Amino acid sequence: MLSHLVIDATLYNGDSIFYVVTFLLLMWLVKIFAWGPITKMMQQRSDKISDDIDHAEKSRAEAADLADQRQEALKGSRVEAQQIVSTAKSDGQEQRGQIINKAEADAQALKAKAKDDIAQEREAALVGARNDVADLSIEIASKLIQRELNASDQKELIDSYIEGLGKPHES
Amino acid sequence: MGSGTVSTFQIWKLTFSTANVLSGLVVFILAFAVIFFTSRHVSMRPSKGQNFLEWLIDFTNGILKGSIPAKEVSGFGLWGFTLFLFLFLSNQLGLFFNVAINGSAIVRSPTSDPIVTLTMSMMTVVLANYAGLKKWGTKGYLASFVKPSPMFLASNLFEQVSSFLTLGLRIFGIIFSGEVLLEMVWSLAELKGIPTLIAAVPIEMAWQGLSVFLGSIQAYVFLTLSSVYIGRQLEGE
Repeated sequence: MLSHLVIDATLYNGDSIFYVVTFLLLMWLVKIFAWGPITKMMQQRSDKISDDIDHAEKSRAEAADLADQRQEALKGSRVEAQQIVSTAKSDGQEQRGQIINKAEADAQALKAKAKDDIAQEREAALVGARNDVADLSIEIASKLIQRELNASDQKELIDSYIEGLGKPHES
Repeated sequence: MGSGTVSTFQIWKLTFSTANVLSGLVVFILAFAVIFFTSRHVSMRPSKGQNFLEWLIDFTNGILKGSIPAKEVSGFGLWGFTLFLFLFLSNQLGLFFNVAINGSAIVRSPTSDPIVTLTMSMMTVVLANYAGLKKWGTKGYLASFVKPSPMFLASNLFEQVSSFLTLGLRIFGIIFSGEVLLEMVWSLAELKGIPTLIAAVPIEMAWQGLSVFLGSIQAYVFLTLSSVYIGRQLEGE
């Protein structure tokens, strides 16, 4: 077997050079067509991935910040709303008191005025009635004077009249 | 394959074997086709071909990283990738295209000839020594041969020669024996017509399958050992 090998595989020195040249040429072509672009792209991809990871980290932090801010704002607005409600309540209370007070005062004033009016009216009516009685008595007297009267009738008439006159004065 | 004469031709004073030159060219074209058609439209989102190529690059880089210091590994990536691709295709070529004219092989696995595998291992040894020389300078490089003591000079030199021989002859042995066995099974098939043919076909297929496996393993082993030799030169101490 070994002797067979030695006979068969005499040293073809040219092949050696051929393979070295072929291999180096192939290496050069691989570099130009595949190795260069592919490794460059792989590098770019790994750069991009690490960039993306950094970016994601940053935006996550930003989002957390925003959420905190929103929470705070929400809390603030709740407090504000409570304040608004309580102010409205106290305002309403105050207003109600004012309205009631005013209504009471108005009613009082109305009542007083009505009382005054009534008194005035009565006064006016009394004065009117007195005048009427005076007029009437004068009329009656003039009529009586024009008629012939006997003494007793006259006396009776005057008496009754005086009696009638005295009553309204007393009241 | 051993039976026929080997066809050769001469240019100047160099002798070429037709089979080696043709097979080498076929492997060269196949390798170029593989890297050319898988590297079209390189983009951030890899297509099928680009994916395959990136996987292969990661694979060979992974082999190199196993033995070469991490800082220096990038300088050998291209070499490792090309070597693996070339050897892998060379190992498989003879299993599927085995052309012979007048009993002498024209196209077969280039790696079934020791001159080819020894050329490859010589390139590895030269590259390893060159890397060591470049890193440590002439003085440091020469000093590495007398470490740990001058007594080891002979064994260190012998180690270089033995690396060169074992690296080249291991892959040659496996691929050559694989092809020889394939031809023996085929001659068995031709022995008595149809019955032996039917018997031989499954054996041939099984052996082909195993040879594909062995060829891949040998390409892997060759690159692994090459990176070990380079790594040893770079580690120095």
